[in-house]
Amino acid sequence: MTWKLIGKSVIGTSHVQSGKDCEDSNHFEILNNGQENEIAIGFVSDGAGSAKFAKQAAIRAVQEAVSISIQYIEDEVEIEEKHLVALVERIYDIFRIESAAINVPLNEFSCTLLGFITLPHKSCFLQIGDGAIVRNDGSGHFTYIWWPQNGEYQNTTSFIVDDANVRNLQVKIIHEKIDEIGMFTDGLQMLALDYDSECAHQPFFNDLFKWLRRAESAEHVSILNRKLDEYLSSTSINNRTDDDKTLLLATKYIL
Amino acid sequence: MDEYISFEQIPFGSDDFANNPESRCPCILLLDTSGSMAGLPIEQLNEGVITLKNELVSDPLASKRVELAVVTFGPVHLEADFQTVGNFNPRNLTASGDTPIGAAITLGIDLVNRRKKVYKENGIGYYKPWIILITDGAPTDSYINAAQLVKEGEANNSFAFFAVGVEQANFTILKSISVREPLKLKGLMFREFFLWLSSSMKMVSSKNPGSNINLLPPSGWAEL
Repeated sequence: MTWKLIGKSVIGTSHVQSGKDCEDSNHFEILNNGQENEIAIGFVSDGAGSAKFAKQAAIRAVQEAVSISIQYIEDEVEIEEKHLVALVERIYDIFRIESAAINVPLNEFSCTLLGFITLPHKSCFLQIGDGAIVRNDGSGHFTYIWWPQNGEYQNTTSFIVDDANVRNLQVKIIHEKIDEIGMFTDGLQMLALDYDSECAHQPFFNDLFKWLRRAESAEHVSILNRKLDEYLSSTSINNRTDDDKTLLLATKYIL
Repeated sequence: MDEYISFEQIPFGSDDFANNPESRCPCILLLDTSGSMAGLPIEQLNEGVITLKNELVSDPLASKRVELAVVTFGPVHLEADFQTVGNFNPRNLTASGDTPIGAAITLGIDLVNRRKKVYKENGIGYYKPWIILITDGAPTDSYINAAQLVKEGEANNSFAFFAVGVEQANFTILKSISVREPLKLKGLMFREFFLWLSSSMKMVSSKNPGSNINLLPPSGWAEL
């Protein structure tokens, strides 16, 4: 066991009150590409509250993103920025075809997408919409890849289906060995980011990664995954946000 | 702290000092869960602990400031490490085993000292910690060292140690451990005791750290 991943999407109190489902989703996989170099793939998505198929879109987006990523690895593609763009364009096409098939506007499939693929010598990141990805810079300090994409107002952002050319998509390849990544949807932005100093909120990630680093077995990881669900459903979180929230944590560190 | 607890019981989550920079008011309960507590006593104790949590959670300031920890004996077991009351979820305690009071006190004092260190490292103010021993028996282990640690701690103003005896508790020994006069619980009035404790903690935590502790009179639950 090299990579340890946990991830959960939990319904927000406002969605419970309005009788809606959780419209966040996450999906992750760990691959061993045969050279004892594990590859971690993780994606999260937040379906737009106004979209009729928000939940289905978010689930579909993360599943397709992971399966396209796995296909790249299996085909031994040297992943570059253009492949990350192509990944999102393929999901755009899926939504376009599906919405046409059931005759609903494409924007009923509005959702964000954030994800990473960690390869032995580089890591690939992509993001469209709000939420954020942070990474341990190797010294124990967490830095964000991109600050959340919000429009003029806190509650506006961009989605995969906004534009066939996915102009709002951000992609980045970092040619470093990255051993720890956190990723979350906008429901956790107020807890995970420090808006005063515009940086990742260090204690938030330190507190949570502390335990994941300590996990020594698949059983430990699964206990933490369950506890993550309890934590995201707890009053201390719900007092700060009423939105759906997703948190995905990945680490290679062992304490 | 971490070597004392299993993975299943870790306080996973971020209740960090940056999100809640309020001064902390730590209170650790050393609870006798030996075989003699079986039946009604342990039931009343369980209900009492839940009462304590519910009372503190409903107080906006106490819920941010009071941190609870629980050690049970015997055998000595860290049931819950220090956490704010909102994250404190007491499990149902069952009675079995002997009464290693000495080891429980030693662990309790160690946990308090560690917690203070964490507060200091995070620049968080704190109140004088409370250590509360509740037993219905007499130590089955050596308590001489523990009694010495209690005396030193009280003399150095490091914490306040309270002993509460239930029914057949050995008050001669409790007196030799606790600098403060041990109190005898009237019958099984755990609920009244924990209501008194929560009121006292609410009162303490609403003042500034360092103010003198003015305990409420232990009326209603103690035989004076």
